[in-house]
Amino acid sequence: MKPAARIVGLLAALALLAGCQQPQSEPAATTPASTAALTPAAKREQRLTTGTISDPKTFNPIMVTDSASGVALGDIFEGLVRLNPKTTEVEPLLAERWEYNGDGTVCTFHLRRDVRWHDGRPFTARDVVFTFKTIFDERVPNSTKHVLTIDGKPLKVEQVDDHTVRFVLPQPFAPLLNSIGSEIIPEHILGEALAKSTFAQQWGIDTPPEKLVGTGPYRMTQYVAAQYIRFRRNPDYWKRDEQGQVLPYLEEQTLLIVPNQDTLYLKFLAGQTDIHYPRPEEIGDLQAKSQQLAFAVNEIGIDTGTLFVTFNRNPRHYEAGGKRNPRLHWFTDQHFLQAIAHAIDKKSMILNCFNGYGVPAVADISPENKLFHNPNLKDREYSLDQARRLLAEGGYTDRNGDGVIEDREGTPLEFSLYTNSGNQVREKMCSILKEDWTKLGMKVNYRPLEFTALVETLEHTLDWDAILIGFTGGVEPHNGANLLRSSGNLHLWNPNQPKPGTEWERTIDELVERGARELDVEKRRQLYWQIEEILHRELPMIQTVRERRFNAVRNYVQNYDQHVWGLYRPERISIAQ
Amino acid sequence: MGAYLARRLAHMVPLLLGITFLSFLVISLAPGDFFSTLKMNPSIRPETIAELQRQFGYGDPLLVRYVKWLWRALHLDLGISVAYRVNVADLIGARVLNTVILAVTSMTFTWSLAIPIGIMVALRPESLTDRVLSFLAFFGMSLPNFFLAFLLMFAALQTGWFPIGGSTSLDYDNLSAGGKLLDRLNHLVLPVIVLGTSGMASLMRLMRANILEMQRADFLLTARAKGLPERVVVLKHILRNALNPFVTLAGYELGNLLGGAALVEAVMNLQGLGTLMLDAVRSIDTYLVMASVLIGSLLLLLGNLAADLALTLVDPRIDFRRLEAGR
Repeated sequence: MKPAARIVGLLAALALLAGCQQPQSEPAATTPASTAALTPAAKREQRLTTGTISDPKTFNPIMVTDSASGVALGDIFEGLVRLNPKTTEVEPLLAERWEYNGDGTVCTFHLRRDVRWHDGRPFTARDVVFTFKTIFDERVPNSTKHVLTIDGKPLKVEQVDDHTVRFVLPQPFAPLLNSIGSEIIPEHILGEALAKSTFAQQWGIDTPPEKLVGTGPYRMTQYVAAQYIRFRRNPDYWKRDEQGQVLPYLEEQTLLIVPNQDTLYLKFLAGQTDIHYPRPEEIGDLQAKSQQLAFAVNEIGIDTGTLFVTFNRNPRHYEAGGKRNPRLHWFTDQHFLQAIAHAIDKKSMILNCFNGYGVPAVADISPENKLFHNPNLKDREYSLDQARRLLAEGGYTDRNGDGVIEDREGTPLEFSLYTNSGNQVREKMCSILKEDWTKLGMKVNYRPLEFTALVETLEHTLDWDAILIGFTGGVEPHNGANLLRSSGNLHLWNPNQPKPGTEWERTIDELVERGARELDVEKRRQLYWQIEEILHRELPMIQTVRERRFNAVRNYVQNYDQHVWGLYRPERISIAQ
Repeated sequence: MGAYLARRLAHMVPLLLGITFLSFLVISLAPGDFFSTLKMNPSIRPETIAELQRQFGYGDPLLVRYVKWLWRALHLDLGISVAYRVNVADLIGARVLNTVILAVTSMTFTWSLAIPIGIMVALRPESLTDRVLSFLAFFGMSLPNFFLAFLLMFAALQTGWFPIGGSTSLDYDNLSAGGKLLDRLNHLVLPVIVLGTSGMASLMRLMRANILEMQRADFLLTARAKGLPERVVVLKHILRNALNPFVTLAGYELGNLLGGAALVEAVMNLQGLGTLMLDAVRSIDTYLVMASVLIGSLLLLLGNLAADLALTLVDPRIDFRRLEAGR
């Protein structure tokens, strides 16, 4: 017995030792990035490493529907114009300048003459015409075509000469500039695919990166699924800095794909990435470590989306067997809705869900949308007493002493509150909502649902009472038309109405139409301000809170000027020596 | 043996049909589809989603879609992933090697440690070593994998000894062949420890129990009475018999190769099948899920068959002629 045991024991000990020994034998074999971060004396390469949470789904810029692909392709392709994330205005990119004709139905773009595709071919108006021809092709599913279809008619894109393109609109269309930033694609590479109707399959993620030809400051050199994407600067990029030096400054960029937020954070702390977008719970820790690890934590702005509670006001849902469910009355009753709006504890939400890094939301358009956010709206203060008073005025009181309030007909106020499960912020917010609403005497059944199931409920079965849900926001308010219009499919509280069911919805419909046609920015802003006022008054979407966003940037990274809408002049980012 | 093999393989056909059809049914019955997520994006129009659905053949009834899928699968075409819009086979191919390396390494790690330790403690039951190792084993078993993964990565951050996630370094392409191997191994150490320790406890306890039970067997009494040296008793009589159930277990392990490491892959940022499949299920990427079901069940069935065949080598009592005659 003994010798066998000894051998086995020895083997086990060796195995354990091997496990411990290995690291000591090669501590220097860790990634070069981490050593670079720790030894400032070494000469740093012009190389930036960032992290992202998911793989790109396509390399075809026209077919992108997810943000990860957008991130991967952002530096390879360029549009006619781009958003200035500082001012939220549109600035020239491939188009040098543009002008409208008198009635705003023709917009002429003058293209840069010094732009070449990555393969050396000159970029011309033909490519622009081809790009929009592709977008409007019925075999190419994409959203841009529907955005640019105005009153059922597509806009026409015509070539005037090699460097001039004319957009002819059926009627004036204000969102045009914000909507034609679509990446321009090369006709000489993709033309054949469109003709053969294989365009939708072109440039999938299995395409060798060197085949992707754009005009942008970088070329993709390598993509290893679930690991990283590498970019190398385009030496022939057209843009120069004030000293005449060719941009971009960075030689190389690496985008690490790390599917887990915690790992992403550890990687930043270990010096394996240069930039980190912290979650609220990481911000305090980061600030404490910033001195020691030589990075800065900056606030980049307020979340651009909207996170709100909405009640089902769809009459079709409540009318069964000739009887009308009393809930429809509550959910359209201003007493009830106002009471709910007063019973949203935004302070607790900010503290519990965002570690204090948040702001109360008042308008559906984020304050970061400087042009269109209405700053004049007054938030309803959090007051359960006020809410109780409003409920009592509306006839909602506890008539039988069971602790649950009833409406005038004696129906107890009981309803279900949905959100998508797995989203911790929303789940916490729902528990705060439920607690306060229960204090008001309502019976709230909290039902988290898997996202796909929730979407089905909203779209098809319509079998829900209240929901906490969020939308991402863009600069162009017309892109939210699907939500604002009573006929829209995302008009959650009562979608796809054949004609507006209420007076205020009719008004919003009109304002949305006028907003799309009004070319005067100041007048246009007034229209959207009016919409925000109506939404604030009628409470179809009861606003909650918005997160304040931060980034952490290593001290040696220069010109990393970030805003919630994106990076300002990203081609100027460089690494200090 | 040939006839036995043929019969076993033939049995797999209805099983695989059943498994795949049921899976297809379940995926299709789940509320929503891949495009549900897009529907909540205000800048994506419903018309676009309808176009995409048409392009991916979502209009067909369930049975038609299944038969179409089956027909293509029989021609080794696993379809196109809705999320990635490339062939499912390409997606899987890009990741399968990593998962296999991880699974095989951690299995080797587990087995080569658990079996000797199991034997060692069984030969001296209730000793201090037994108690300490059993405690550690249970500790390892009860610690959730993802948590241990974080602990180890945190340790890696503090010490700088190991990379934090990933399967290769960024400068992997510039390394020499030996450097590449070392780099890979260095990236494997932590995940292998995480995955290895989780299975270690049960294997070790199984070994221990098997041997303890065997100790009381009559044939050991005979062997010892014959005056065989203890070494021979342990190695020839006890071990050979105690290993029997492990062969069956190894067959099952083959089936677990695909999905078992998903959480660790996600936490440690490994380019494996597990995370791909997890995402596929969550986003209802039908053909990708079907491919994983198909490959997973094939591996399980083949693993069991291999285990049964291997058992005949370990256990002389199993005989094909008798098996074939028995049916």
